[in-house]
Amino acid sequence: MTAVTTTPPPRLPVRDKAEARERAWGGVSPMLTRLAAERATGVLVRERGTLHLAEGRVVHAESPAAPGLGTLLTAHGTLDADTWRQAADEAAEPPGAGLLLVGRGRLTRGALELCHLETLYDAAYFALAPSSTPGRFRYTSPGRSGAVRAVPVAALEHETLRRRDLLHRIWPDPATDEAPLLRADTVALPALTARQRAVLHLVDGVRTAPEIARAMGRPAFHTLVDVRRLAAAGVLVRGALKPAEAARIETTDPDITLLKRLRDALESL
Amino acid sequence: MANTETSLKEALASIEGATGVALVDYTSGMALGTMGGSKGFDLSVAAAGNTDVVRAKMRTMEHLGLKGQIEDILITLSDQYHLIRLISGRGGNGLFLYLVLDAKRSNLAMARHQLKRIEEDLEV
Repeated sequence: MTAVTTTPPPRLPVRDKAEARERAWGGVSPMLTRLAAERATGVLVRERGTLHLAEGRVVHAESPAAPGLGTLLTAHGTLDADTWRQAADEAAEPPGAGLLLVGRGRLTRGALELCHLETLYDAAYFALAPSSTPGRFRYTSPGRSGAVRAVPVAALEHETLRRRDLLHRIWPDPATDEAPLLRADTVALPALTARQRAVLHLVDGVRTAPEIARAMGRPAFHTLVDVRRLAAAGVLVRGALKPAEAARIETTDPDITLLKRLRDALESL
Repeated sequence: MANTETSLKEALASIEGATGVALVDYTSGMALGTMGGSKGFDLSVAAAGNTDVVRAKMRTMEHLGLKGQIEDILITLSDQYHLIRLISGRGGNGLFLYLVLDAKRSNLAMARHQLKRIEEDLEV
């Protein structure tokens, strides 16, 4: 037997970690970091969502991809839809409506705080996603309704990066995050959790992950976690894209087309 | 009814030997609140890691076809106890309390009982 020995490859140049962290600091949104430093109050509008700031801390976040506070509170019978709608009409923003309901004894403070934090981090995950257009910030006067909980920008950025990393570790292909989902033809279904079965039940070739999240009354990121796990297990695949999105993704670069065909062929093995 | 911060404070103050406590969402692994811990013991890291413990146990139970619910999970180290209590309330689906105890100073049965009471107070 002959042992094949090769010289080890030269060590890759590694950046100083502390310096890299410093540099990555502006990675999520340099504008947000600056606004936090100057303790700004106002609304940051980004391509995929908005963040509401009060004295440099995030008090509320919204994204079309993430279900709002009302959806979460009404989906599991904590509140009925009418009570929520009424409060939402009276208050300027969802957190204000939540506080109103706490004041009336319809909602417990703990339940509101937890739901608020869940929706805030959930919406911020999408709002802080890499975007193709610059964000805009509008300074406003401090809100009247008060905040449920204010989150430091650093904590929010840290959590957003951790979430991106978590999804990447589960299944590195983001194709299923926004496209309509289809069940794959699998011979044997692997053992699934109750939540995964619930997600799979709503997969119909039309709904996207955020739409499934809304239908279930769960945070969108949590649904993405389940969807990526299902994709990793080969139970789910991306369905046909809606026309507008398909046009954006279509490419004529021969290398990319070849790679895509290769990928599809490998996946269908 | 308590808010999250008072609940965590209470856990740390009233449970003998408690050195850290966290309220964790186990799908995302995010700590919704932490209290205590130390420089050498980052509660958010512990929180994120322990979501895998909870998930593994839940999956095993699904595989076995067990219908019961997990109340708590106990991990004993040579000098610490880690107690995970799943929150069963209506809206609290998907959360757990994570408690770190100093093994020498704590009474496990008592801690478990107190954590259960705090969970009920949290009422989420």
